[in-house]
Amino acid sequence: MSEYKWRYAFFLGCVIPNRYPMIERSIRDVFEELGAEILDMPGASCCPAPGVFRAFHIPTWLVIAARNISIAEELGVSPLTGCNGCYGTLRDAWYDLEHNPEEKKHVNELLAKVGRQYKGNFEPKHVVQALYLDMGLDYLKDHIKHKFDDLKVGVHYGCHIVKPSDKRPWHGEYENPQFLDEIVEITGAKSIDYKDKYMCCGAGGAVRTAVKEVAADFTREKLVNMRDAGVDIIINCCPFCHLQLDLGQVEVNNFYKDIIGEPFKIPVIYITQLLGVAMGMDPNRLGLIKNHDLKGVSPFIPIDRFLDIVKEQII
Amino acid sequence: MTETKKEIIVTGKEKPRIGVYVCHCGINIAGVVDVVKLKDYALTLPDVVLAREYKFMCSDNGQSMIKEDIEAGLINRVVVAACSPRMHEPTFRLVCKEAGLNQFLFEQANIREHATWVNMYDPEGAYEIAKDHIRMSVAKARKLLPLEVQKVKVDPSCLIIGGGISGMNSALDLADEGYKVYLVERTPTIGGHMAQLDKTFPTMDCSACILTPKMVDVGRKEKIEIMTYSEVVDVSGYVGNFEVTIMKKPHYVDQEKCTACGSCAENCPITCGNEFDLGMGTRKAIYIPFPQAVPGEYTIDMEKCIKCGICAREDVCEPGAIKYDDKPEYVTVKVGTIIVATGWDLYDPTELGQYGYGRYPNVITGLQMERLLSSFGPVLGKPVRPSDLEAPHSIAFLQCVGSRNFREGGHSYCSRVCCMYATKQARQYKEKHPEAEVYIFYMDIRAFGKGYEEFYESAAENFGISYVRGRIAEVREGENHNIVIRAEDTLLQTPIELEVDLFVLSCGLEAKADADQVASLLSIQRSADGFFMEAHPKLKPVDTLTDGIFVAGVAQGPKDIPDAVAQAKGAASSAAALMAQGEVEIEPYYSVVIEHLCSGCRTCQSLCPFGAIDFDEFKKIAVVNPALCKGCGTCVSACPSGAMVQNHFANFQLNSIINVAVKQPTVENGGK
Amino acid sequence: MSDNVEKYIKRKVHKGMSTKISQKFIDAGLEKIRACINCGTCTGSCPSGRRTAYRTRSAIRKALTGDESVLEDIDIWMCSTCYYCYERCPRDIPVTDMIIKLRNIAVEEGFILDSHFTLASDIFYATGHGVPANDPEAHKQWRALRESYGLPPLPPTVHSYPEAVKECQTLMNEVGFRALLDNAAKLKAKRKAEAEKIAKEKTEEEKK
Repeated sequence: MSEYKWRYAFFLGCVIPNRYPMIERSIRDVFEELGAEILDMPGASCCPAPGVFRAFHIPTWLVIAARNISIAEELGVSPLTGCNGCYGTLRDAWYDLEHNPEEKKHVNELLAKVGRQYKGNFEPKHVVQALYLDMGLDYLKDHIKHKFDDLKVGVHYGCHIVKPSDKRPWHGEYENPQFLDEIVEITGAKSIDYKDKYMCCGAGGAVRTAVKEVAADFTREKLVNMRDAGVDIIINCCPFCHLQLDLGQVEVNNFYKDIIGEPFKIPVIYITQLLGVAMGMDPNRLGLIKNHDLKGVSPFIPIDRFLDIVKEQII
Repeated sequence: MTETKKEIIVTGKEKPRIGVYVCHCGINIAGVVDVVKLKDYALTLPDVVLAREYKFMCSDNGQSMIKEDIEAGLINRVVVAACSPRMHEPTFRLVCKEAGLNQFLFEQANIREHATWVNMYDPEGAYEIAKDHIRMSVAKARKLLPLEVQKVKVDPSCLIIGGGISGMNSALDLADEGYKVYLVERTPTIGGHMAQLDKTFPTMDCSACILTPKMVDVGRKEKIEIMTYSEVVDVSGYVGNFEVTIMKKPHYVDQEKCTACGSCAENCPITCGNEFDLGMGTRKAIYIPFPQAVPGEYTIDMEKCIKCGICAREDVCEPGAIKYDDKPEYVTVKVGTIIVATGWDLYDPTELGQYGYGRYPNVITGLQMERLLSSFGPVLGKPVRPSDLEAPHSIAFLQCVGSRNFREGGHSYCSRVCCMYATKQARQYKEKHPEAEVYIFYMDIRAFGKGYEEFYESAAENFGISYVRGRIAEVREGENHNIVIRAEDTLLQTPIELEVDLFVLSCGLEAKADADQVASLLSIQRSADGFFMEAHPKLKPVDTLTDGIFVAGVAQGPKDIPDAVAQAKGAASSAAALMAQGEVEIEPYYSVVIEHLCSGCRTCQSLCPFGAIDFDEFKKIAVVNPALCKGCGTCVSACPSGAMVQNHFANFQLNSIINVAVKQPTVENGGK
Repeated sequence: MSDNVEKYIKRKVHKGMSTKISQKFIDAGLEKIRACINCGTCTGSCPSGRRTAYRTRSAIRKALTGDESVLEDIDIWMCSTCYYCYERCPRDIPVTDMIIKLRNIAVEEGFILDSHFTLASDIFYATGHGVPANDPEAHKQWRALRESYGLPPLPPTVHSYPEAVKECQTLMNEVGFRALLDNAAKLKAKRKAEAEKIAKEKTEEEKK
């Protein structure tokens, strides 16, 4: 235990384990490599999704979120999530409960019925927050083995990692955050500025479940802007954005084929997948090389183009 | 009616006969508590010989009731249970005085602010609190002693801090009335922000044309001593007798020798951004801020100067005025009054990242636009956009930048000038480029001044300026450094996207960055918005809470030029009224030393924040200078032998209040 | 009756404000909604409004003035909760939170999309996950995908702990989620029946 510099309770959420397990693999492996212990959170549920279940019933959202956080509290560490949605839920619930003792009391009365207690003594963290604030860029740089100087990256932050900014650790910066670009650029890749870079992918807030075409229209706009700027790949830090940019790309190519010209085929890669391969880890395990014959599974847009660009460096 | 009353001699030794007067204050008090019951309660208190209630004690009738009771010899102490003493203590003191009773035998119980207002929805609680206040006031009234007011001379001179349009107007009025004025200005010239403006709304007068003659006037007045490039570093003393230390910053140019020929600036090799043009124009390291500056004194900016020595060469500066080893100079002046006219800073929009200021070259502030429009500005009044120095074909203005913004870092107040200055600038541009598209994005247009609404109407009708009701949400840079705006046209209920060549942020006004230092230097207060606080928002708009110190112009809150000038003249008038009287009454709340108790330990002397305590070397005791003592009570609480007594707030008086605060003394229990 | 009567004659005059919706905001401590000055920063910031009929400011305005049409309008479900409106509101109104609250009120009144109802009731309530992987047939390939990365077929979440699903359901019952959904289903069914009845009457009238 003592060889680890950091310990986190890994809050998986839904999309990471159940649709993009390569993201789960890459987070586990990269954190292990960086000297951070990842603990499982037995029996954790959906966070629940902030724009969906919270939009149906705020009290339900709050008590289930508190239950999830309480599992990490039992382990005595901060919950760590790789998903912006889960981050939004866990962090906002944590923040709201800390600022509203009455609500906290009520939530604990409910939790008592299932033998649980919420304390609020561990700050929920995002994978990117752990990398950038807990470990720091210099520490990460020391672990980089390969530099991808020719790689042009379109960085997509998503929304809930930076907003609401008063409940986030980025000192109120939401218009023009740079932390994810900085992590990307320690791999030698270049973060390409593109129009409306900080715009939403369109999936959140129950929009994707309501009307896929609307969500896909957000995505279309983002993809057009990224293609215009000449990006090779998309890097993101949220599995739901990841899904929307990956599977959504197929949907955009379908719904909007008359207005987009060439169909899109931009590889979508999660930040720890990129970081892992730059740290010299096996691209197979990181999900960057297809090693199965399964049909209808992620990724939906082939990522070969990424490997084509970086293969010289990683061989 | 106003025949002089025979003075009633009260030494404090005769038995107190207290009259208690409960005011209804319309429904402010009577609407919440039963005033008749309060009056009856007062009658149960020791030494209260009569009690009355009346609709408005401050009215003529109410005042007469008190006067008649005093004159009839019924009472020798007065308690009025009404509003805050801040409101009407002077009124009732005058009543006592006019009836021949020493005015310090009066006590006011604040049962409005402290009881009925704050407990409007709890009448029973309010009633109990009102009783407490009356009981405490009566207790103190029993122990009051007659006091005599002090009079001090008022020096017929005024210090004006800030040489903008407000400070200049105050200075001119006071000088014309014969008072000596020291006009201290931080920058190398007087004129302030108004000198940066091109034209003024709604009359479109040329700002320089109406300002520069005033500046010259100020420069010529014998009674006005201008101290530019100077700062007030210390203020001591009190109303009528302030002692002010002013630091004259080194110009590095001997002003006696300098002829302002300008040869030095011509030859100076260092070019840098000109503050006066907000970085849109240049100046040399040796400079005058602008051609019409008063006084026209050259100054070396030592942060920029490389000390090459060219300006000091004999062939460049013939009179030999360059003085690289110039040092700051300190002067001390004595003044009777002070006017604070320190002005304002422009809100810095950098932190509003969504507007791209500082990130995109074609986003500028309203004040920068003003310099671009100015006929003696960096582009001689032919505005161009920064990225390519071309005249913009389209301009969008955004209102309320930093103002009416309740977020952290924003100002909740309306800055009062931006609607009009944007309209004026838009009109000016349209006059020069009728073909240009000019938009003003606004939340509300506030055209409240004389001629303003007409000006606004004409801007839309005659000049074709497009007003769009909607606050811009975000901008980004399009092709060719154009600015792409996103907003909602709230009247169409439609999101809009609009590309313009130039984007102007109508930034609001804010308190000077160092307003807190000025406030502590002068012991004056600031309101929540950061500006200096007036003594009363309606009735004392130019006074501060410190006697003898007045405030003028935007230093007190955002104003347009007419309002700033009006207030400056008001401040001058108030200062003159004080100086014309020649002397001023000071409340006799100073401390006195009980000589036989004083051990001469000097503790009080070292603690007194006003330097009001001297030491009598012969008697070996402390001596208080009543004129300097502010009655803060520090010495009283510090004195180890209880030798210090503060008039009107003596320990036995305060104890009498404390004693009844928790107990309910009645006639029956002997007042215990 | 002339067609034009239905086509042109609306007789719709707003009869002042109703506090029916806004009172619910106030009860939830969100009286900030009353501070709105309709500047449009929210709508102007909204990426959804640029492609849909959703107008943030108008939704807030309708909620505040008691225009109940806002509850049944699908527009309020077009917000992707990107929080730009929340960040930029000059009155510091947590706009996104207001929209979330508005959706809560809509669900209370039974205005919930079928897809959302299924997600809430058949998926989240039943499994504890919003995106599950435990269906024996439908999710087979996802479990296999997990295994291809050396992960157990089911994650160590509610999927591996049936008692945890029960625990979540207990909490959801206690906090009123089940009852809310059941009530919404009932209201939805009732409205549907009413709409069908009106439609039927109309066709019969036309036949005559």
